[in-house]
Amino acid sequence: MSQYPTYLLDRAKLPDAHTFAVATKHGAYEALRKVLKEGITPAQIIQVVKDSGLRGRGGAGFPTGMKWGFMPDPAKDTRPRYLALNADESEPGTCKDRVLMEMDPHGFLEGCLVAAYAIRAQAIYIYVRGEYRAPYNRVAAAVEDARKAGLVGKKILGSDFSCEVWMHKGAGAYICGEETGLMESLEGKRGHPRPKPPFPAMFGLWGQPTTVNNVETVFNAPFIVLRGAEWFKSMGTKTSTGNLLVGVSGHVNRPGVYELPFGVTCREILDDVCGGMWKHKKLKGFLPGGSSTGVLPASFIDTPMEHDAIKATGSMLGTAAMIVMDEDTCMVRAHEIIARFYEHESCGQCSQCREGTQWLHQIFHRIEIGQGKREDIDMLVTLSRGMAPGKTICALSDAAAIPTLAAVAHYRGEFEDHVAKGCCPFLPAGVKRPSFAGAH
Amino acid sequence: MTKITINGRVVEADPKKPLIQACHENGADVPMYCYHPGLTPVGSCRICQVEVQQGTAPGRVVVACRTPVVEGMVVDTESPKAHEVRRECLEFLLKNHPLDCPICDKAGECDLQDYAFAEGQGEGRSNEPRRKLDKRKSLGDVIVLDEERCILCSRCVRFMEEIPKTPQLAVADLGSRSVIATFMDRPLSGNYQGNLADVCPVGALTLKQFRFQARVWNLKKTLSTCGECSRGCAITVEVLRGKDVKRFRPRYEPAVNQWWMCDTGRFSSERHNAIERVVPAARRVEDLLRICSVDEALAQAAETLLAHSGAVCLASPFMTVEEGKAFGALCKSLGATPAFVSPPPSGLQDSLLNTGDPCPNRRGLAELGFEAVSVADARARIAGASVSVLAGERVIELCDRAMLATMTATRIVTFDTHALEGAAAMVCVGIPEQVEKIGHWVNVDGHVGKLSMARPVPLGIEPLTRTLASLTSLLATSGASSR
Amino acid sequence: MALPARLVAEFNELLTHYPHKQAALIPALHRCQEELGGWISPQTMEDCAAFLGLEPVEVYGVASFYPMFRMRPPGKHVVSVCHNISCALRGADDLLAQVCEITGAQPHHTSADGRFTVATVECQGACANAPMFDLDGVYHEDLTPEKVVKILGSVK
Repeated sequence: MSQYPTYLLDRAKLPDAHTFAVATKHGAYEALRKVLKEGITPAQIIQVVKDSGLRGRGGAGFPTGMKWGFMPDPAKDTRPRYLALNADESEPGTCKDRVLMEMDPHGFLEGCLVAAYAIRAQAIYIYVRGEYRAPYNRVAAAVEDARKAGLVGKKILGSDFSCEVWMHKGAGAYICGEETGLMESLEGKRGHPRPKPPFPAMFGLWGQPTTVNNVETVFNAPFIVLRGAEWFKSMGTKTSTGNLLVGVSGHVNRPGVYELPFGVTCREILDDVCGGMWKHKKLKGFLPGGSSTGVLPASFIDTPMEHDAIKATGSMLGTAAMIVMDEDTCMVRAHEIIARFYEHESCGQCSQCREGTQWLHQIFHRIEIGQGKREDIDMLVTLSRGMAPGKTICALSDAAAIPTLAAVAHYRGEFEDHVAKGCCPFLPAGVKRPSFAGAH
Repeated sequence: MTKITINGRVVEADPKKPLIQACHENGADVPMYCYHPGLTPVGSCRICQVEVQQGTAPGRVVVACRTPVVEGMVVDTESPKAHEVRRECLEFLLKNHPLDCPICDKAGECDLQDYAFAEGQGEGRSNEPRRKLDKRKSLGDVIVLDEERCILCSRCVRFMEEIPKTPQLAVADLGSRSVIATFMDRPLSGNYQGNLADVCPVGALTLKQFRFQARVWNLKKTLSTCGECSRGCAITVEVLRGKDVKRFRPRYEPAVNQWWMCDTGRFSSERHNAIERVVPAARRVEDLLRICSVDEALAQAAETLLAHSGAVCLASPFMTVEEGKAFGALCKSLGATPAFVSPPPSGLQDSLLNTGDPCPNRRGLAELGFEAVSVADARARIAGASVSVLAGERVIELCDRAMLATMTATRIVTFDTHALEGAAAMVCVGIPEQVEKIGHWVNVDGHVGKLSMARPVPLGIEPLTRTLASLTSLLATSGASSR
Repeated sequence: MALPARLVAEFNELLTHYPHKQAALIPALHRCQEELGGWISPQTMEDCAAFLGLEPVEVYGVASFYPMFRMRPPGKHVVSVCHNISCALRGADDLLAQVCEITGAQPHHTSADGRFTVATVECQGACANAPMFDLDGVYHEDLTPEKVVKILGSVK
């Protein structure tokens, strides 16, 4: 296995890295100190982050510096402004932010503070998914330690920079990982995504200028501030710079969260990083970036894990949460499960999404249990096209449609097999799949 | 104002309102479910798709209710792409919607039915079982909810939050399990529940009072004004086959009631279906009131009024401006001061519409110089006079029918829909109800509300303006001859 | 009934975190669920509404939106079995069947003895350590049938 330079998980791998003592001994808050001591301006930070090419790690890959730059000029717009941390990681396959929060909460907090300084936010809300009790507790403890050390609150380290940090717990709704759904949820409402415009930078939390960033995104910021844009660009590819956390799950020998530079091929991840296929089975296909990215057959395994290359295959990088499926995996069943997820998680606002996610799930389920008809396969396609792209307030509808279209495109034969045989060909004769469909 | 192009025509649009409003104001029929001009737009139903082109960018299909009006934008509400997205959207909306139309009260005025028809997808492609939910969930005295028909547009939730500002409904649960609910199935309260049936674009929220009463296409709708308080909300009076008034519904009037009305006004429609009216008139013959023609009744009224001096004249606060003028002339010929009975506040006053003043034309009558007289005063004046003329709808009721019936030492001539009982009743001339006449009321703010003929007057009954004028001229001619 | 004094004190502190009261609703509901019987009772909703100046129906709309808030009282212990794709590929169906067998509870139901409620959940973010379940707020990952027997067997 090739060696790549690392930085994201270096400290996290140390024993007790979550404690203030160990973290500060190993460089935590150095970037923040440098910024405040040397009087580096917010504009300078935004510039270096822009120059670094850092792209959001929450799934959309939007350039972070540009996003920060959308915040209005504080000289002209004196409203309170907020940074909301999206730690609502909930997409099947995605489990990377948890590692950062649990293992290196001070590194994460420093990232939050640097980002807040860059956008001149007076308060940070860290929205952690409710199920993540351990990561929540680690970050909450880190915030308290940092507060005692003068790193959070009024006049941080004696500078003019004041910033409060508040922890906030979600309650199990995937849609609150959508930035406007997150803001609604933070305001104590149902997590219904807001139509855009207006965009969060102008009308965010409580109608004030707000930036919403992913955990891993801000985690990168202190490193960029300390080591510079050129250093950051030396890793990864031209359009996807730096390292990213790749979470690998499914049928591999060593599932896990790994730090790798963008551009490493999926084959390298599978064979070198994760020790190859589980139980020596053959690879059938994989979802490159979580459940909302289209499945790719084994023939795409040499695709580099970076935005452009994955996009060229018709899929998406997403959160680089690679879900690997072996030759015995029934693609209809796999996508029935994915469709069930989106039905369960649709907020229910938009007609296409509320009804469409249920409809897709119902069709997948019928095909899987052998009650599908030939025309159902085309229905999956036409319904998905009715749900996306851009037909609804947020992208959850797209997230349900994309894997459906990919599954039918790459594995139509398997769907036809189910219909022709009137059962799932991957199940031994007479065996019925336990079904909990509808049991919400 | 901003210049934009809608379907090839350059129009002026209000940049403060969403694009859909500009479309509607300029004759482009863009469908809508979650959008309601009186409520905050949420952009969730996704049906109001139109194609918009700005600058050199290619046309995009967007929801018109959440798209701001921007100078120079070119809007095509009928583009094939927009229709395609609407058709898809409808297919999703119809997936779980029951095929209830034949028994649904909303059929005929249902936006889902109408646009499904307009977009032309007659057949559903779904083989899946439809959602099974509660089909008749009582939400109190006014509204019944059919959860299966609901398309979760959330208009009802927003109405309760934004208009009477008493949140009582919520979307509960999420996704395909969402339902509209009250807290722990508590009944709805307040005087504005009826509007929920109006804002519901489908047959999910219907009025208990209107349930299975009529097919809406059999209702003749006439523009009119509500008389239950001095707000005078603009309404439509909806009459089935020329007889029963089946509904009062609010009608958009920006200066008065916007899109809304209170339940007191809405359900006052029922009082217009009473059958015990005096048709066309009655007069005292010896000890009994006997049905007679209007002319015979007026002749006897003139005779009574000429035989006794010091007549008291009291009008109903429901009298229109036109009737008030005729009544004023009568008062003048009798040497009486024009006055109207002013009942005490109803106690229904709220900060939204209901003024609590049960006199729909107080201002109009006051402008004609009418004195407002309390009910107690009115009774005292009647009791103390040798003869009285009471005129206008509900005037007997307002003065207390039972109390008037006990009077013996006086004579009363009435112009009301109902006859007066008791020894004092000399002449009762039948009059049209407010849904049977043309006229005007002036509301609390000086806005003139119009009454129109929503159904024919019972045979023989003449307009109050005419009977009052006839009596005035009879008094003049008979008075002159007797003098 | 009103909220216990200790929760009121906590919630008063919570209110200082936000410019608007309603923002405290979800964290407050979490605490109520933890402290007041493991679910969000109608009384809890009314109390939280009164505390935050909301209508009970608004609290109901929010509480029912979030899958973590239970609208019915659970058993003594709650096992939330992850069964989305990453866990499913590593045997979540078998895990769920085993959990149901040991606890005697069907998915989304409570066992007859009231000891266990079994829930299926759509991904708890432990995908690289599949299959897994959450038992009373603690993750148990990389589960094998043997581990499951041990973990559930040690529950009092």
